Amino acid sequence: MQWIDWLEERTALPGIWRRFVDHPVPGGPRMRNVLPAVLVYLVVQQMVLGVLLAAHYSPSATDAWASTAYLNDRLDSGWFIRGLHHYGTSALILTAIAYLVQLAVTREYGKPRELVWISTLGLLLVTMVLGMTGNILPWDEQGYWAAQVELGIVEQTPGGEALRAVVQGGAEAGNLTLTRIYAAHAFLLPLLAVALVVGIVVLGRRAEAREAEASAKVQTFGAGQLLVDMLAMLLVAGALVATTVQTHGSELYAPADPTSGFQARPEWYFLFLYKLRMFFEGPLEPVATMVIPGAMGAFLVAAPFLDAMAGRVGRIGVLGGLGLLLAGVVALTAVSISSDAGNESYQKALAQAHKEAERARGFASEGVLPEGGPAVFQNDPEYKVRALYVEHCQNCHELDGFGGEEAPALTEYGNREWLFALVRDPNAKRFFGGTKHRDMDAYPEVAGNDEQTAISDEQLHALVEYLWQLQGEPDVDATLATQGKALWDDELDCNNCHEVDGKSEGSGPNLLGHGSVAWVARVIRDSSKPELFGQEAQMPKFGDDKLSDEQLADLAAFIVRQRGAEVTAEAAAEAAAAATKAAQAKDGANDGATEAKAPEPDDEAEPDDEAEPEPDE
Amino acid sequence: MAQGEPRDEDESRRKFMLAGAGVLGACVAGITAAPALSMLTHPLRTPTTSGSDAFIPAGKLAQFEGTVPIKVDLYADKVDAWNRVVQVKIGSAWVMQHEDKLVAMSTVCPHLGCAIDFDAEGGKFVCPCHDSYFSLDGAVETGPSPRGMDALEVQTQGELVAIRYQRFRQGTETKEPV
Repeated sequence: MQWIDWLEERTALPGIWRRFVDHPVPGGPRMRNVLPAVLVYLVVQQMVLGVLLAAHYSPSATDAWASTAYLNDRLDSGWFIRGLHHYGTSALILTAIAYLVQLAVTREYGKPRELVWISTLGLLLVTMVLGMTGNILPWDEQGYWAAQVELGIVEQTPGGEALRAVVQGGAEAGNLTLTRIYAAHAFLLPLLAVALVVGIVVLGRRAEAREAEASAKVQTFGAGQLLVDMLAMLLVAGALVATTVQTHGSELYAPADPTSGFQARPEWYFLFLYKLRMFFEGPLEPVATMVIPGAMGAFLVAAPFLDAMAGRVGRIGVLGGLGLLLAGVVALTAVSISSDAGNESYQKALAQAHKEAERARGFASEGVLPEGGPAVFQNDPEYKVRALYVEHCQNCHELDGFGGEEAPALTEYGNREWLFALVRDPNAKRFFGGTKHRDMDAYPEVAGNDEQTAISDEQLHALVEYLWQLQGEPDVDATLATQGKALWDDELDCNNCHEVDGKSEGSGPNLLGHGSVAWVARVIRDSSKPELFGQEAQMPKFGDDKLSDEQLADLAAFIVRQRGAEVTAEAAAEAAAAATKAAQAKDGANDGATEAKAPEPDDEAEPDDEAEPEPDE
Repeated sequence: MAQGEPRDEDESRRKFMLAGAGVLGACVAGITAAPALSMLTHPLRTPTTSGSDAFIPAGKLAQFEGTVPIKVDLYADKVDAWNRVVQVKIGSAWVMQHEDKLVAMSTVCPHLGCAIDFDAEGGKFVCPCHDSYFSLDGAVETGPSPRGMDALEVQTQGELVAIRYQRFRQGTETKEPV
């Protein structure tokens, strides 16, 4: 064919291809010959997948997590590409180990394949480092904390502090850590891996060609072995796809948070070292992190030479040593896995980490603010409402130790203890001490003057239960509440000031549904309504263009949640809508008049009761 | 047949084997290639950026009383792949009264996307990259631009002027939103 000659003259490529397929395979096509081909396949596939990931990843401390979440959760097939790349590392490690075992057991690692053995060891090491660096890149909890541990180990080596600073790009992990690790993972280490796998194939073929000269049964590579190799690749590819699909890719944890207590574990191929370290505490730690791994490496490199030196005894010794080494690694890995599986607190933390990951990635779908990974939690509605609270409420209302004292504290707002303390001393700083609403008498255990009425703890508990009932709580002790109502109506005459029908005004707020989302929303909207706190109220009216109805509802629900009450979003919205409707109806009807008919109380009853029975329309 | 030499191989069998290897190889490659293609062409199916489609306040009406065009920068929240950015510059517009009507035109040149400037002395718009000249109403006077300056939707909201910012395909005679 003409074009082949044309190409041959200029590039020699057709000749190279012909020599490739005409390469003599001693013993003919066999399954035992496939491992180097599988190594080639995996290295190439990892590189292709790596380029695809690099095309969608941004190596900076602020962008790494967000871009990984985007490529994994939003881009079509992104999770599959990332998952395949993740499991590809494991496959490469397993294949390299299998090939090493094969070389040792068949004694093929001896002359002339010593360098094939050493190249395979090198490829194994480079792949493990690729896995280690690759894990760091998403800058999620796992990556960040694993990096801390690994860099800590680097620091223990002689001159390690400087080495850590160089690898990390400074005294702390940050942007330079990621750009440097990225450069190593995406450029330097893959080059090494390619060089090593080329070495494995080319040197292996040289040895094969020589063996073919002495072999009775020889077949060209293209006439059989190539097909067998391809079959093996397809099997490995199938296993990789199955694993990726079954696990839905690789986990991406929540963004790196230096304050979290994430329990980092290395990938499975480092677990043996992780476990080994536990046997060497304190100053002995470098024995596990450096001395033993170093000795292992030296022995592995030397194995074919030792085997050749001492004849039969040497062979048994070397094989025994290799066997022990492998058994040790497998045993340590197994122990590490099973002890984690049985470790309840670790499993709990892990489950929590997965939950947090899901939450973070849910929020990431709206886009992450440029501040970086953890800023994803600013997409949390809870965060937004808290920001609203800080902006509009915190100056006067204390919450969890922060905020002003001009208005009632909202920490645990409206729980039984809060109500109890309020009735005991409404003019304390925690309640209305900083406001103009100071007409209510205190109800101490022992009356301090003639104007005060003393009530016992027991009576007060009953009264609080009645208030709890008015608040619309689901867990009311009905008997106690009835006693409380009797005190309210008769003995204490609370009803002189506080109406409880939800509409009539009194000198104190009408308390039907007080503390509920709807009631709180009404207070935030305009607390100076006659059935609420009246003309004296100093709190700004947030209903007048300041906050949207939705914000009012969110804020009210947030405040109600401070006592641990569960408020579903629907309940809050519904309650707030009812309040809006009522407020509008009222504004329309009276238009400026001070005396007003209050909203229908039933429309804005407690949120919990409303939320559940309501079927979806 | 000498030892160490491959046996005489049946050429058709060998071809079959090679073809078989090729098919299996294609399957292996396809496992990466298919999702790779779907990942790379994602932007053809799903938008990766989005800005504000709403009218963006550009300034007070009083500011634009004259017939001399004034350049305003428009700020909006924007989603750019994995980032959500709040109130960033998404573009700018020339705003003026033209024939008693408030007009806003994109500063992006319809030719190759340079920023159109206003030549106050000549009283016309000019794109400095390739010397396209536009009259005050945005029509091309001279130069390579295939169409006049792109008008943007503008409305008054009380005292405020608001503009809906859009980008348009470059280099075409007709104005199509991107």
